[in-house]
Amino acid sequence: MPNKKILIVDDDPDVLQGMHVRLKANQYDICLAVDTFSGVAEARRSEPDLILLDLGLPAGGGFMVMERLKMIPSLAIIPVIVVSARDGLGNQKRAFEAGAKAFLQKPVDDNQLLAVIRQTLGEPAGAKKPTLQDQGAV
Amino acid sequence: MTTPTQPNSNLSAYLSHELRNALACIHQFGNILVDGLAGELTGEQREYVSIMLENASRIRSVLDRSLDGVPGQPEKCTNKIERVSKLET
Repeated sequence: MPNKKILIVDDDPDVLQGMHVRLKANQYDICLAVDTFSGVAEARRSEPDLILLDLGLPAGGGFMVMERLKMIPSLAIIPVIVVSARDGLGNQKRAFEAGAKAFLQKPVDDNQLLAVIRQTLGEPAGAKKPTLQDQGAV
Repeated sequence: MTTPTQPNSNLSAYLSHELRNALACIHQFGNILVDGLAGELTGEQREYVSIMLENASRIRSVLDRSLDGVPGQPEKCTNKIERVSKLET
């Protein structure tokens, strides 16, 4: 079974790298984008199974990314999890109204992030896919 | 229209946002080290990184109790996943 693909959209390169390492270690394929435009473009190109989306992005912001995704039928069905440092129920409510499946405020606990990702992707809770090492491949 | 509390609220929101992003990175990379994703740590190294993470958590607690709770700020947001839970039912 192929790995699920996750697109991470965040303008902080350290956050991108940290999430990349963590999710790759959990056998997800990762693609990255750093702003509004490249977020939508990368979603079109790679058609991920899920998008982790920051709100404070250059050239528009996370809400604009969600608006653009909604306008493209093949991308409108991709679940979005908002991961933002922004505070307030206002942002959370707006994110849900824009179609987000979950809202996580940074700093996010890794286990919680993985649990929400698995839940959103319909994977069994706590399930860890076998690594190459587990399979004796390395 | 600007109110007397608005500059403080804006500053608090800015500080909260910036500190949360920085804390997110400290937590992420600290846990990456502790979990051995960048190579195994010695017991002493693991202890030191754990101390670093505990203190990052203390800063987060202070942040949750102070900057996010000042008057004029929206109510502190928790990491809610009700939306996902609803999908399960």
